[in-house]
Amino acid sequence: MIARTGFFSPIFLLGALFTANPALAARDPSAEDVDFFERKIRPVLVEHCYRCHSQEAKKVRGKLFLDTRDGVLAGGETGPAIVAGNASASLLLQALRYEKLEMPPKGQLPAGVIADFENWIERGAADPRAATGAAARVKGGDSREHWSYQPLVKPSLPEVKNAGGWAVSAIDHFVLDRLERAGIRPSPRSSRRVLLRRLSYDLIGLPPTEKEMEDFIGDPSPDAYEKVVDRLLASPRYGERWGRHWLDVARYSDTKDLVLLFGKDRVRPYAYTYRDYVVRALNLDLPYDSFIADQLAGDRHQEGEDAWRKAAMGFLTLGRMFDNNPPDIYDDRIDTVTRGLLGLTVACARCHDHKYDSIPTEDYYSLYGIFSASEAPISLPVIGDPLDPGAYAGFKKKHGEISGKLRHHIDSQHELITRTARDKTADYLVRAATTKPDVAETGVFFLSLSPEDLRPLLVARWRRYLEERGSSGDPVFGPWSELLALKGDDFSARASLVVKKWLGRATGTAQGQLNPLLRNALAEEVPGSPRALAALYGSTFQRVYQKWVKTVGKVELAEAEKQLLAPLISREGPLFIPRRLTYLHMSRVPRDQYSGFLKELDGIAVGHSGAPPRAMVLVDGEDQRDPKIFVRGNPRRPGASVPRRFLEVLSRGVRPVFDEGSGRAELARAITHPDNPLTARVMANRIWMHLLGAPLVSTPNDFGVRSDPPSHPRLLDWLARTLVDEGWSQKRLQREIVLSNVYSQSSLERAEAAAVDPANSLFWRARRKRLDFEAMRDSLLSVAGRLDTRMSGPSVDIAKDLANRRRTVYGLVDRQELPGLFRSFDFPSPDQSIGRRSNTTVPQQALFAMNSSFLVVQARELVRAMGGPSAPDRLEALYSRLYQRRPDDRERSEGLVFIEAAGSGESRQNFGAWEQYAQVLLLTNEFFFVD
Amino acid sequence: MNRPDPNKLASGLCRREMLQKTGVGMGWLGLFGLLSDSQVLAESSISSPDPGNPLLSRPPHFAPRAKNVIHIYLNGGPSQVDTFDPKPALEKYSGKPLPGGNLTTERPTGGLLPSPFKFERYGESGLEISEIFSRTAAHADEMTVIRSMYANTPNHEQSMRLMNCGDERLNRPSLGAWLLYGMGTANQNLPGYVVMCPGYPVANVSNWRSAFLPGIYQGTHIDTRKARVKELVENIEASHVSPAAQRRQLDLLSSLNRRHQDTRGGGAALEARIQSFELAFRMQLEATDAFDISRESKSIRELYGPSLQSRQLLMARRLVERGVRFVQLYHGNVQPWDSHSEIGKNHRKLAGECDQGIAALLTDLKQRGLLEDTLVVCGGEFGRTPAVEMPQPGTGNNRLGRDHNHWGFSIWLAGGGVRGGQVYGATDEFGYKAVENRVHVHDLHATLLHLLGFDHEKLTYRHAGRDFRLTDVSGRVVKEIIS
Repeated sequence: MIARTGFFSPIFLLGALFTANPALAARDPSAEDVDFFERKIRPVLVEHCYRCHSQEAKKVRGKLFLDTRDGVLAGGETGPAIVAGNASASLLLQALRYEKLEMPPKGQLPAGVIADFENWIERGAADPRAATGAAARVKGGDSREHWSYQPLVKPSLPEVKNAGGWAVSAIDHFVLDRLERAGIRPSPRSSRRVLLRRLSYDLIGLPPTEKEMEDFIGDPSPDAYEKVVDRLLASPRYGERWGRHWLDVARYSDTKDLVLLFGKDRVRPYAYTYRDYVVRALNLDLPYDSFIADQLAGDRHQEGEDAWRKAAMGFLTLGRMFDNNPPDIYDDRIDTVTRGLLGLTVACARCHDHKYDSIPTEDYYSLYGIFSASEAPISLPVIGDPLDPGAYAGFKKKHGEISGKLRHHIDSQHELITRTARDKTADYLVRAATTKPDVAETGVFFLSLSPEDLRPLLVARWRRYLEERGSSGDPVFGPWSELLALKGDDFSARASLVVKKWLGRATGTAQGQLNPLLRNALAEEVPGSPRALAALYGSTFQRVYQKWVKTVGKVELAEAEKQLLAPLISREGPLFIPRRLTYLHMSRVPRDQYSGFLKELDGIAVGHSGAPPRAMVLVDGEDQRDPKIFVRGNPRRPGASVPRRFLEVLSRGVRPVFDEGSGRAELARAITHPDNPLTARVMANRIWMHLLGAPLVSTPNDFGVRSDPPSHPRLLDWLARTLVDEGWSQKRLQREIVLSNVYSQSSLERAEAAAVDPANSLFWRARRKRLDFEAMRDSLLSVAGRLDTRMSGPSVDIAKDLANRRRTVYGLVDRQELPGLFRSFDFPSPDQSIGRRSNTTVPQQALFAMNSSFLVVQARELVRAMGGPSAPDRLEALYSRLYQRRPDDRERSEGLVFIEAAGSGESRQNFGAWEQYAQVLLLTNEFFFVD
Repeated sequence: MNRPDPNKLASGLCRREMLQKTGVGMGWLGLFGLLSDSQVLAESSISSPDPGNPLLSRPPHFAPRAKNVIHIYLNGGPSQVDTFDPKPALEKYSGKPLPGGNLTTERPTGGLLPSPFKFERYGESGLEISEIFSRTAAHADEMTVIRSMYANTPNHEQSMRLMNCGDERLNRPSLGAWLLYGMGTANQNLPGYVVMCPGYPVANVSNWRSAFLPGIYQGTHIDTRKARVKELVENIEASHVSPAAQRRQLDLLSSLNRRHQDTRGGGAALEARIQSFELAFRMQLEATDAFDISRESKSIRELYGPSLQSRQLLMARRLVERGVRFVQLYHGNVQPWDSHSEIGKNHRKLAGECDQGIAALLTDLKQRGLLEDTLVVCGGEFGRTPAVEMPQPGTGNNRLGRDHNHWGFSIWLAGGGVRGGQVYGATDEFGYKAVENRVHVHDLHATLLHLLGFDHEKLTYRHAGRDFRLTDVSGRVVKEIIS
C-alpha cells in the first residue's frame, strides 16, 4: 500500500460512525421488543414491502429481501437496509421518509408508521423471524454442485479388458475404458513417418526436415520415439508454437485501439516484451502457477535476473482501451483473467448476479477493486538492453525529456484541477442542488471541456457523495438532505421549520448532532432556496478550506473544522483524483497535450534501436479504496462497498480479504491454490485440445453450468491432477500425452467405429488437422529454406512486408486492422480471450494460395534451392523437401507431363514451369494437413 | 433463436463448438463460408458444403418486407436543420441562445444559427427537404423521414458504434453481421455484407465487426479509393501466371488431392479444401464483374453521375441485384460530414457529392423492381446543434459551424416495407432535441430487423455465458413507419 502523504493526514475516518452498534445488534430481543415488531412492523412489511422484497416476490427488486432477519441486515444493492440502533443512518428509514429513495413507491406511509420504524430501529431492530429463508439471498445461479467446482482428486484407473495390451499409460486406460464400453477398438499405431510429422507440428509448429525424417525412421533404438519427443520439447521453436496458443487466450495485440491513431502511432512499443516473455517462459517450462503469478503480479520481481518476468503483465495491460474509460478496461481484465485462467464467465456479473453460475455481482466488484487499485506507471520498467547500446544515451535523453514533461503536465493539471474544484465547491453544490444529472456525467468522459467548466465527473461524484452522506443523522449533511427534500413553492417557510429543528440539536461532530460551524451559518440566515442552501454550504466549506490552505502544517484544526474540510480534501471525499486518472478531468487543450505526450513517448520507442525493452506492468495504485458495486453496471449508481477478495464459489468457506496492496499477488495465489480445481482443469483441457485436436470440454474458456460437461471427466481430472502434482510443468504433461497410445493412433477412417461414434468424441483415432495460420506460413518459409529463426524483439509487419522471413509469432498483430491474410486463415480476434479458434475452409484461403506474391516468392525460392541437374532428380528433391518421401510413379510422370506442358506455355514474371509446379506442390492437401 | 441454428453442423455439434473462436472478421471471407471444421466435420459424411454452410440463405422469423439493405452512411453527422428537419424558428431567434440554455454537446455552443439553405415541399406528400438534397427529394413520396432520432453521446466513435453495433464501446456485432447470422445471403459467390468507403470511417473496422459472432459474418471492407476493379479485392487476380496456366495448375492440384484423399478414405475437410480452389477460380471472374461498373450502360452511368459517391452507389445496386444481403456505403474517410465550421459551404459541397447518386439509386432500384425488396437507409451517427459552435483555441474551428448533437437528428428510409411520403416524430421548435415519438438507435435497429423478418428480442447468440442481441435490453419496433 502506498503510504498516505502528509497532505491527507489530518483526516479521520468518517466511515466508522456508520457502523452498527454491535452491542445493540447482538443482544437477545426482549419480549417487549418482539411484541413491538409483531404489532407495528411485521404487518407493514408484509402489506407494503413483500410484494417486491421477499421470497414470494415474482421479481425481487434491488436484491433486497425484507422477509428474513438476515435479509434486512444484509440489505440489497444499495447496502444494508437498517443499522440497528441508528435509525437515521438506516436506508430503510430514509426510504420510508422519501429522502434518498421513495418507498413504497405508491405513496408515502403515514408519519406514525414511519415513527414506529424509527423507534424499532433505535431500539435495536428486534426481529424474531428466521435468520434466513430457503433462499434468503439469491447469489447468482445455484450451481455449487456443478462438476467443475468440485475438488480435484486423482481418479483411480478404470478396469479395462485391455485385449492386446494396448493400454499402457493411464491416459490409455481412461480412453480405452470408454471405447470398450462403446464397443470400439482403438486404431493401430501410425507409421513413424506420420508420427514424426504429427509430433513436429504439435510441439514446434514446423514440419520435420528430410534428415530428421531419415534419422527417426532409421533409428533402431527402443526409445527412438521418446528421444524425438524430448528433442522437440527442448527446441526453442517449442515456445514459439505453444506461446502462440497462449497469446490467443491473452488476446495479444501489438496495437492500441484508440481512434485517430494511424500507422506507427498505433503501435504499443513494448507489447512485444509480453510475447517474448511467454515464449521464454514456455521454453523454460516455467511452472504454470508461477506463469500465472507473473502475469498478475510480475511487478513484484526485482531488477536483475528476474526482471524479464515483469513483462508477463502484458497479460493484463494489452487489452483494448475502450476510449480510455476505466470501468471498461477493468472489465476486460476481469474477463481475461476469469475466462482465461478459470474458465468462468465472471464478466456476466457486471450488471447483475450471474444468471447461471454462482457468481454474485459482489464478486465481480471484488475483482474490479483489484484492478481499480492498480495503475500503469508513466515510465515502464526497463528489463533489458537496447538492440543498439550505442544509441541508448540519445534515446534515454529524449525519453527522459518527454516523460519529464508528461509528469510535470499531469502534476500541474492535477494541482490545477483539484484546486479549482475545491475553490468552486459552491458552484458544484449549486449544480448538484438545482439540476438533474446531465448526460455528460453518465459516461461522457471525452467531452471537450473548457477551463471554466465544472468537471462532469466531479459533479457526479458530489451528487453521489451527498446522497451517501445525506442521512438525517449526519451532522453536516443532515440539514442538506432534509432541506432539499422539501417540495413545493413555500421552500423558505418550510425551511425555517427544518432549520429550527436542527438548531435545537446538540452541536458537535457526532451522528445526530449538528456541526457547530454549520450551525452558525444556519443560525445567521435561513436559506430561501435550494440555490441559497448550496451557497451557504459552499461558503461554510470555503472558509474552513481557506484557513487550512493558509495554515496547513502550522495550526491544528478543530474537530468541527476537520469535519467540514473532509469532503474537500480527503480520499473518501468527492474530489479525490488519482493522479493517473487526471486526464479524465482535463480541459480540451491540456488533454490533447497529454495525449500528445503519450503519443510522443511511445512514438520515439517504435523502431528506435536505442529503445530498451520495457515491461508493460501495473503497479499498486494511488487509489486503494474498496470498490463499490455499480448497480446494474452503472457507475452513476454505486451500491454497497465490497472488499477485494476471491470468488466465493471457489473459496470453500475461507475467503480472506486481500490486503497486500491492490491484491493482485493474492489473487494469483488464490487462482493457483491447489484446492482451486478450475485452474488446472482449464489448462489441462487446453493442452489436450492442442495435441489431440479436440478438447475434452468443448468450451475451453467456459467451464460454467451452461457448458457441455467433459467427454471424459475422469481423464480430465487425471490430467489436471497430474499437472499440479508434477510441479505445474506443462512440458511433462505434454510428454505424458504424446507418449500415450491414444495420441499415436492412426488417423484413418474406420467405418465400423464411425458408425458408433461419427464425431470421434471417444478418440478412437487421431484427428487430421489442417495447418493453422502460423504453421502454414512458417512451413512455407521453412521448406523454401528461408525461415529466419531469430527470436524475440519488436514485431514485424509480415502482412505488408511479404519478403519478411521471421516466424509468424513475431508478426505484428494490429487489432484495429487485422490483415485479411490473418483473418481468412482463422487468426482469432485479439479483442477478447479466445479459447478455441474456428477452422474454416473458404475460397479466400485458396485465392491467397493461388495468387499472393508470398506464395510466388516461396515457390520461386524453393525451385532455386532445389538445383538438380535432371528433371526427375529435381522432382524427387521437391517431394523429399516438402513431404519427406519419394514420389510414386504416377506422381512422377504426372509431374513431368505438367512441366513439359507448362514449359511450352506463356511464362510471366520469371515464373516458369518449375515454379508453377512447385507452387502446386505447396498447395496440396498433403502439405496442408497433418495426419 | 427460434429457428434451426445456422451453426448446427451436420455432425451434431452445435454453435457451442464455435463459441469464442470468433470475433475477427474474415473480410472477404463472407464470399463462401464453409465452416468445415476439420475436427468437427471430418468424421461426418458430408460431401457437399451446403449443410455446413452458415451463409446459405435462410428464412428469418417471419415473412420479411425487405430482403436486402443499402445503408447510405453520411458519416460525421449531417445537420438535421439543414437537410430534413426545417426550423423557421431559427430565423426568428438567430444569434440568441436557446431559451433555457443550450444542451450539453461535445463543445461549447452559442446563439442559434438559421440554416443557410432553402427548404421546399416535394412530391404529393409535400415533405419539406433542403435544397441541397433537391434531387433525392424528388423521391419524397417513397420516403419516411424520422425526425426524432436520438443517441446517447455527442461523440463520433461512440455514436458510430452505437449506430452500427448497438453499443458505444463494448465489443458487439454489427447489424450486418447479425443479419448474415440470422438469414445468410443469397449469392454464395459474393460477400454477404459489403462495406464501401473511400478509406475508413472513424472507429474503423469496429463498425462492421462480427465481434463474438463467427468471423464469416464480418463485413468485407472495400476501399473505393482504389480505382482498378481488381485492386478492390485481395488476391483476386493472378499476375504471375496466365489463366490457362493457372487452370493447368489447378487440374494437377486436384488430381494430387484426389489421390491423397482416396488413400485416406475420404474426409469432409479434405473435400472442402479441394472444392474451395474451384470456387476461388470461378470467383475471380464473378467478383470482378460485380464491382465493374464499366459494364453498365452509358445512360445508367450518366444517371448516377461521375463522382466517387455515384460509383459506390452504382456498385451497391449491382451487388444487391446479385443477392448481396447488406451493403453499407460511407461517404468518406474519417468523418466528412463533421462540419464544425462553415456549415453552409461544407454541407452544400457534401450533399452535392452524393445527391445525384442517391436519387439515381432510388430511380434505378425502382425501375428494376428492386426497391420493393431493398430497404434504403440514409443518415449519420447523430445530427448537429442548431446553435453555432463557439470558436475554441486549439480546435482549429472558426466560425458558422455546428457541434455534434445526439439529442435529436434525422434519418430517412425508403423501399422494402417503408411507408412513403411521411414524416415520423419531431424535434423541438429549434431542432435541438427529439421530443415527439422519439426513436432511439435501438428502436431503429428493432425496426430494421422487423422489416427484415426478425423479432429483435429473439435474434440472439450465446457468448461468454449469456445470450446477446443487437438491441441489448431495449428496442421498440416503430410500426408507424411500416407500410
